[in-house]
Amino acid sequence: MTQSTDIDQDNISSGEDSHRGDTTDFGFTEVPREDKARLVRGVFDSVASRYDLMNDLMSGGIHRLWKRFTIELSAVRAGQRVLDIAGGTGDLAARFSDLVGPEGQVILADINAAMLRVGRDRLIDRGKVGNIEVVQCDAQHLPFADDSIDCITIAFGLRNVTDKNRALRSMYRVLKPGGRLLVLEFSKPTNTLLEQVYDTYSFKILPRIGQLVAQDADSYRYLAESIRKHPDQDTLLGMMEDAEFADCQYHNMTGGIVAVHRGVKA
Amino acid sequence: MLHDPAILAALLAAAESGINRALALAPTASSDFDALAGTVVALEITSLEITVYTAVTATRAVRLMSHFEGHVTTQVSGSLEDLFALIVSDDPAALLINSPIEVHGNTAPLIALQQLLTSLEINWQQPLADIFGDVLGHQMALHLSAGINWGREAATSLRRQLSEYLLEEGRLTPPETELEDFFEGVQSLKLQAERLDSRIARLARRISQRGAG
Repeated sequence: MTQSTDIDQDNISSGEDSHRGDTTDFGFTEVPREDKARLVRGVFDSVASRYDLMNDLMSGGIHRLWKRFTIELSAVRAGQRVLDIAGGTGDLAARFSDLVGPEGQVILADINAAMLRVGRDRLIDRGKVGNIEVVQCDAQHLPFADDSIDCITIAFGLRNVTDKNRALRSMYRVLKPGGRLLVLEFSKPTNTLLEQVYDTYSFKILPRIGQLVAQDADSYRYLAESIRKHPDQDTLLGMMEDAEFADCQYHNMTGGIVAVHRGVKA
Repeated sequence: MLHDPAILAALLAAAESGINRALALAPTASSDFDALAGTVVALEITSLEITVYTAVTATRAVRLMSHFEGHVTTQVSGSLEDLFALIVSDDPAALLINSPIEVHGNTAPLIALQQLLTSLEINWQQPLADIFGDVLGHQMALHLSAGINWGREAATSLRRQLSEYLLEEGRLTPPETELEDFFEGVQSLKLQAERLDSRIARLARRISQRGAG
């Protein structure tokens, strides 16, 4: 794996997640910044084996449609190099593997070893080998050379990153000029009624389902809380612009429950 | 509602899955598909304000998308009814000429793709054998194929007989050639009216210029 030549610049901390000093959010709880990665890892270690089930429960099964549209927006072509951060169980990586073909490369990256193991095994089971590489890394300090990636996707992962601004700058650094970033993430519903229904589902029903299905209500409660703490559509758009992405735009899906943001490295 | 990408994605995913499943069960279509690899047809449905991109991949499959940024081989614009008529038409070339559908780009791949998809000879034996076993599956596939063939022939026969009844016995519709002649006349009159309109506008402009001078 190519090593980064410019990681030091990411150690300069600033931006939305840094102004609160040495604490950050973990769901609705404020925790020391250095603890968040460990706590998030705990959640995903707990749900890794049932991650697909969790996604189905949280989205009603339509996360596949959201990912499908994200892939369309990526406009990935044969021979390109794609980085799927927080790639989970490899849904996007599997599709990108077909699109980039044998001349291209897909890098499935995640900070969580348990998730990567599940993802790698699933990809192998589906016959997706040869052009996929699996890398355990932190989105805030991507271990890739500057200007080396054609497209980066991060689906349902940015909200778990401790310093989102730093992660966005790191993604900008490794993208080639003209390369694009796609952030698929739960967001803020555009309809008040839908928001109320969604809140009730997330905080009252989802943890109970989590307890019944995975005997783990706390992890599911964190996932619901982390969605509410995540920046809304316009705030995230501003954060991408602050990270110097050009031509930033977003598409709301399912009434704004989810949004996909796109930015291009100028 | 269709403008929500997730809803459109659901419809396209279902259609794509159905088409690719049918293609996988129609072995004779595979070789014809190789020639169309790389073709992208954009179907712009003006009445719904959406565009569906149909791409033929190198892996002998069809990909349906609501967003595409590459080179489009053929762009077809029209209402949902017109495009549906094109998709199921026996003679897509004639329909492209005689309907309000607008076409940009190369029409040959569009017609080839339409004919390929509407004339698939699906082999039902494998999927039925997978479910019901070899013996029963084989018998069911034979009956299903016979039923489909009978349905096709019955539909063709019914269409022909209905056409003959409307034309010859009922005298309810004019013959096709007479109708085409009428449409040509209408088109010619439309062009003449447009020329006359522009001539009148030109004369009026000239008169107003002389008056001012």
